[in-house]
Formats: sequence, structure tokens, C-alpha cells
Amino acid sequence: MESQVNLVDLVLMPLIAFIVGMLMVLLMRKIAARLQRRIGPPFFQPLYDIVKLHGKQTQISHGLIHEIGIVMAIGGYVAAVTLLPVPGMNGIAEKGGLIALAYMLMIPSLGLALGVGQCANPNGSIGISRALTAMLAYDIPFIIVVFGVAFMFGSTNLVQIIAEQQAGGIATWGIVQSPLLAIAGLFGLQAMLGKQPFEIYIAPAEIATGPMVEMGGKFLGGLFVMQCFQLYAASVLYTSLFLGGGENWITFLLKTLFVVEIPMVIAFLFPRYRTEDVVRLVWKWPTLIALLGLAFLMH
Amino acid sequence: MNKELMTWLDSLLQEVEGIEVRRKSSRRLRVDVDADALPALLELLRGRASYVHLSAISCVDWPDAGEFELVYHVWSYEMQSLVSAHTRIPRDPGVYISVYDIYTPAAFFERDIHEMFGVFFEGSPDMSKFILTEWDGPPPMRKEFDSEAWVNEHFDWQDYRPEWLQELEAEGGGVAVPPDEQRFSRRNIDDEA
Amino acid sequence: MSSIDNIPVKQGRTKVRQRKRTNPLAGVFDEFMDFCQARSLFMLHYCTGCGAIELPPAMTSRFDMERLGIQPMVTPRQADILLVTGYVAVKTLKRVILTYEQMPSPKYVIGICSCTVNGGMYWQSYATAKKLNDYLPVDMYIAGCMPRPEAVIAGLRDLRRNIERGEANSWEDYFRNYDYYLGHQQRLFGENWQTPTNIISEAEHYGLLGEGTRGEHTALLDKHQEPLEAQEMKLEIPELKRR
Repeated sequence: MESQVNLVDLVLMPLIAFIVGMLMVLLMRKIAARLQRRIGPPFFQPLYDIVKLHGKQTQISHGLIHEIGIVMAIGGYVAAVTLLPVPGMNGIAEKGGLIALAYMLMIPSLGLALGVGQCANPNGSIGISRALTAMLAYDIPFIIVVFGVAFMFGSTNLVQIIAEQQAGGIATWGIVQSPLLAIAGLFGLQAMLGKQPFEIYIAPAEIATGPMVEMGGKFLGGLFVMQCFQLYAASVLYTSLFLGGGENWITFLLKTLFVVEIPMVIAFLFPRYRTEDVVRLVWKWPTLIALLGLAFLMH
Repeated sequence: MNKELMTWLDSLLQEVEGIEVRRKSSRRLRVDVDADALPALLELLRGRASYVHLSAISCVDWPDAGEFELVYHVWSYEMQSLVSAHTRIPRDPGVYISVYDIYTPAAFFERDIHEMFGVFFEGSPDMSKFILTEWDGPPPMRKEFDSEAWVNEHFDWQDYRPEWLQELEAEGGGVAVPPDEQRFSRRNIDDEA
Repeated sequence: MSSIDNIPVKQGRTKVRQRKRTNPLAGVFDEFMDFCQARSLFMLHYCTGCGAIELPPAMTSRFDMERLGIQPMVTPRQADILLVTGYVAVKTLKRVILTYEQMPSPKYVIGICSCTVNGGMYWQSYATAKKLNDYLPVDMYIAGCMPRPEAVIAGLRDLRRNIERGEANSWEDYFRNYDYYLGHQQRLFGENWQTPTNIISEAEHYGLLGEGTRGEHTALLDKHQEPLEAQEMKLEIPELKRR
């Protein structure tokens, strides 16, 4: 099979990720609104927000590292989405694989930590330390799940995993072959997206949105863009591992939107856990379920 | 039990010299004492009559008599009644002793009264400003302080465009009760005065 | 005078007057930015006085503000609109000015409730500011005591219409006429009033220097200005120290 990287893919995949991500942000706000018996924002609202934020005419920047932090935050996700195959485009998924993807998904938090450190706002420091602690927590079940699935399919190549699931039909989907890993993956998804009850690192009323406290204008615009990519990357990864990827665009979109709305629906009904409770919870239940699933697989 | 406690309290209060006791209602007792005897009275009320809760300290300005009247409101949980201890101090030095060692919350009220009336309480732990931190005029609650004159001197008033109502009506709005016909319009009061 | 039965209910959308231009492509980008700005307003959740009670109903289910694109944000760095709801005590006014200067432009100040207009109920008080636009440039006043959520939303829609037309530029006025605002602020707070933000150098940087930026009051500011140092963060808990 030709493993030549199509350069057009590398430009188109982040663009598609951005557009689908904006759709997911709209979905999130609409679900929140409907759950609260409101109407919610109009269709292009995420676009208006991002354009407006980038169009601010005066800007306070705290230094070079502040800006580099935001660039890292978006850049990590942009790199991650080129490793996630979509119907018709594989990008560099064959060259990278799950290990590179797992590393790429950790870069945004670290970049944000750098940027927030430069801001020197105590709210931001508290928020980002909580975010990194929560990341320490959810990475354990996340890695177990991801490599459990890799073990199940015998390779870390996402293209191959998707091809096997599509060739075999629903019976070979990850969710059917190992439902325990899928459940642990949902926990991990909730924590990775930072949704209630694991939303401690934002905590708007307590620490004034934590890491985002000094971000305004183009920085906040960058973070909004990062949110689009984050939702997209997390849900596409879950779909590729457990739901057989997308045979064509319609099923792909349906599956990813379905996966991303599960954490959202759960999120708006819950308050939030404290950081130590998050760590305790996530190291207990999803880890146990994932290890149990792994144990079943090993037999 | 209430009757017993009330008679006991009345007899207790007779121990303080120069006291005047007036019962306002079943739960309200008004006590007038000299300025020297007040701390002893409060000590008595707290220690022996179970009035452990200081609700508030208020100050009344009597400019004609040249005095400040300090009122100490104390509440008893056991007897469920309030005793207001009134005392007068001369306005000129405006200094009094603090009851901080009898009731700890007194520090807060005394700080407030110092800010608003200018009464200094000796022995109070902190007399610094906390409400009117940006204020450098006279103590504002004194009767000689004319708030309206001060406001007219230090602030500007808004310029209204005279056609403001026509603009509103053109957009479909309006005023339901015109200002001339409102009950508490200033114009009516000034016309009658 | 009108009675309450005669007040008609306004229906339909207010039309946005098209800006006249000779070249159809001139200012298209500015119009697009104004279009997006009007449809996405982040209000600062810093509600000064009693009028703040009318904002939660405007945000929640019954009078949903999010369908107009308005959502609350918690820090001034993220917000566009500063809502001054209710009376502004002198103490609060200092913090409001500090907050206003931290917001990125374009920013809008809305004075809700009559107390910001002309003193309202507290017009005789020595401790409240009477006329808000002496101290900050105000884009929109919404009178009332307090205005109902429908009135608040009507005011916000008027602001939106003004933004789309390109008429809501009072943030530039703060830079161009800084001396006027500083003069009123010094009259209220004393001559030693200074903020961490250096408005004049910001105005120079963004090309918004006007004739009214420097004047006698800024000269006073230069005389008294001290470099502000970061405060040391200390936690003094006597119980812990005793142990």
C-alpha cells in the first residue's frame, strides 16, 4: 500500500477538524440550553465568537511565553488531528500511530501551563495545577484503554484498526469485543474534555476560569479554537477505536457527534468534584474497569 | 418562668445607682444610666443576667443638647428579651470607653460609630476606617453635615435633552404615570411647603 | 401624557441603516468585524449594585440572553461589556475604573438603573457617584429601578444595533479625552489617584492620541505617579503561627 503522505491532506484535515469542532461546540451549547429549557445560541455562534475574539483591537500580552503557550496548545491538537484518519484521508496516521497520538494529546495542557505561568495570576496558577493533576489522573485509564484496544487488534496503526473493524462488521467493533474498555474509555473521555463532574480546573465561579483568567482577545480566541479541536480529537479517537471509524462521511459525522454528546448530556446535570476526589475516583473506577477489560482480553 | 426572671432582672437592675428602667413591652426593656455606670451595668447584664449577645451599638446625635446618645442593645437567649441600655456623653470631646473586654463584637460597632459620628472609644482594638475608606470629609452622620449641599458641591448633574420624552414616544414607549401626578413627587412637597 | 393602555408593543426588527459608501468593497472587513462583535457579546459578571438582580432572569430560561449571543464571562480580560448595574459607591467606582481599564477594546459600558444616570434614589448621598459618564465613557443607559429583564434585553439589542452601525465607539473616547475623565476621577478620589494601566502610552501605541488626552490633570498625575510594585502574597494565620 502506498504510504505517501498527501500534503493536501495535512492542510485539509485540520480544516475539517475545525469545522466539525465548531459544530460540536454549537451542539454542546444547544444541549446545555435545551436541558435548561432555553433556546440557545444561533447556528453560527461559535464562528462569531472566534472572529470577534481575534478582532480585538487592544491586547494585553504578558510576554513571549504567554503567546508560545497558546501556540503550543493549539499546535498539539492540530498535530493530533493529522494523526486521526477520516474517511478518504489518512494523513500521517500510518507513520505515527497511537503512541505518537497519546503524546500529542498531552502537549496542549503543558503548553497552556507554560502560558499561564507567564501570566503570574494566582487564579491561573491554581487552575493549571489542578488541570495537570487531573491530567495525571485521567491519563492512567486512558493509556490502559488505548493500549488495550491496540492489543486487541494487534497493532497501533489506527488505519489498520479501523480497516479491521469495517471489514468485519459490527461484531468486530471495539465496543462489542470489549465493552469494559469502552466504558472506561467513556470515563476517560469525560475527564479529558474537562466536563462536569471533572471540571475543577475551570471552575468559573471559584477561580475565575482558572488557566483562562488572563487570556483575552486573541489568546481566548486561540483557546476557543483549541476547544473545537479538543472535542473533535477526543471523539474521533473514541470512534476510531470502538465504533469502527467512518465508512463514509455521513456515518462518520453521526458517530462522532453521538460520541461527543454523551459527556455533554451527563455534564450539565452535575456539580463538580474537588481535585483530590477526581484523582481518587478516576484512579479507582475507570482504572479497575479498564484493567478488568484488559484481563478478559489477555485470556 | 418568665415572670420570675423578669422580677429577678428588675431587682438586679436596682443594684446599679442612678438607673431608670422602663419596660416597653414583654420583650423590650429600656434602661437609662449615667455614662460612668454603663460598663458596670453591661458587665452585670452579661455575667449575672444571661444577656450574652450584643446585638448592636447605636448612636443618636442630639445637637441642641450637645450630646451623643449611645444605645447598647443586648439580647438574652434564656429570657428571649432585649435590653437597650441608653447613655449620654458630651458631644465636645466625643470620647467614651470601649466595652470590647465585655463584648467582643463591640469592636466592630465602635469602629462603625467612630467612622460615622466621630466618637472615639478608648480601649477598642482597631479604630481605623473600613466603610468610608475614601472619605476625608467630616463624620457624615452628624446632624450638622448637610449631605445635599456636599453633593451639589462635589458632583455634577446629568444634562437631559429636553425632548427625551418625545424620543421615547416616537419609538413606541412612554410614561405611564407622569411625574407631576406621582404621589411622592418633590415638586408637590415644595409647593405645599 | 400617555397612559399605560396607549403604549404600543413594538414588533418586528429594527432595521440597520446601511453605511453609505462609494466603493462597495471599502470597509467590508470592518463591517464584518462589527457584525461578529454585535452577535457575540461577553458581559462581565461584575454587577455593582442592586440592579444585578435583574441579570440572572435575563440569562436563564425565561428571557434567554444566549440566543442573542450574550454570555457571562468572569474576568475583565475576557469580557466586552461592563455592566454597571445600580448605584456606584465611591469605593466601588474605584474598582470599576480599574476593571474597565483592564478590559481589551472594543469595550462597552452599559449603565443600568437610574442611579447611574442621575443619582436615582441615592441622589442626596455623599458616598455614591451621580453621573457615571463623568468617570467612564458610557454607551447605553437603561433607566429603571430596576429595569425588567425585557427592558435590559431591549437595551442590549439597541447596543447591538449601534455596534452594527459602527456607532458604539466610546472606548476610543476614553483614550482621546483621558484628561476629562481623569479630572473627574481626581476630583472624587483626590490628587494621588493612579491606576496600574498607563493610558497615555497605550493611546500612543494604538494611535488613539487626541487633543484631550493630555492636559492639566494628567500633568498632576505625572507629578504624583509612583511605580506600582506587585504586592507580596503572604498568608498570616495566627493559629498556625502559634503552633
